[in-house]
Amino acid sequence: MKYFEDVRPGELDTLGSHTFTEAEIIAFARKYDPQPFHIDPEAAKGTMFGGLIASGWHTCAIMMRMTADTIRRNQLATTGSPGVDSCRWLKPVRPGDTLTGRSQVLEAWPSRSKPFGFVRSRIELLNQRGEIVLSLVGLSMYRRRESPA
Amino acid sequence: MSDLIYFEDVRIGQTHRFGHYVVTAEEIIEYARQFDPQSFHVDEEAAKQSMFGGLIASGWHTGAMFIRMINDHAIPSAATTGAIGFDDLKWLKPVRPGDILSVETRVTEKIDSPNRRGTGTVKIESRVLDQRDEAVMTLTSLVLYRRRSR
Repeated sequence: MKYFEDVRPGELDTLGSHTFTEAEIIAFARKYDPQPFHIDPEAAKGTMFGGLIASGWHTCAIMMRMTADTIRRNQLATTGSPGVDSCRWLKPVRPGDTLTGRSQVLEAWPSRSKPFGFVRSRIELLNQRGEIVLSLVGLSMYRRRESPA
Repeated sequence: MSDLIYFEDVRIGQTHRFGHYVVTAEEIIEYARQFDPQSFHVDEEAAKQSMFGGLIASGWHTGAMFIRMINDHAIPSAATTGAIGFDDLKWLKPVRPGDILSVETRVTEKIDSPNRRGTGTVKIESRVLDQRDEAVMTLTSLVLYRRRSR
């Protein structure tokens, strides 16, 4: 298990990858973000985006999935997140795009009152051309080594 | 379409309240199985043993429910071309099955975008509220509005 005490500012991690299909872009957006450029390939051609693009909240959901898989794979003692300082959707994500994720720890500090610590990280998702499509700075909480499980 | 709200029409301080999103256990689990399969989001029994004492929605699921309410109530009347992102998102309270969510928005700033001709950026603070009017999530969105053509 990797606890708060094991987290080092500056350390880098990779978050795996995900290829977006047209079907999943449309399925997510029909349920949560049904704007024409997210759900209708024909209508999307006539928009400023020139074709179907994923909802930014779908890209965030995929970022979360990559993070959850990393938590499991690396046995991180995380207990959730209180929030996100900033999130920018820098480039459209289109069907067929393969995104890879990377994270860097910016700072870490213990909670004064609770048996865990806070970790601030930058997470970036890049497409197959190496362009950053999502940049996010967020907080997560890690249990301390001496805390009850 | 002439009654769409363009960048010029947006007023700082404007507030709106809308939405009625009933959160179900089925939807919490469905979203989380796909995107955030931590035990307290996907497994009711394991969730009871966790620090949350029961099933709670993924914070990103609350974000998705927020953007659905924005789609249903705000986007149809607004000349927007999407958002470039958000700042200061806070998950303040767990969202549980049976909660009923709504949204309160307030315009806090208008920013001219010299390098994005034809649009301006509007900062909108949103609070996602539960049925007790307690905020479960807050964020400040950066939304692009089209300008009226002259």
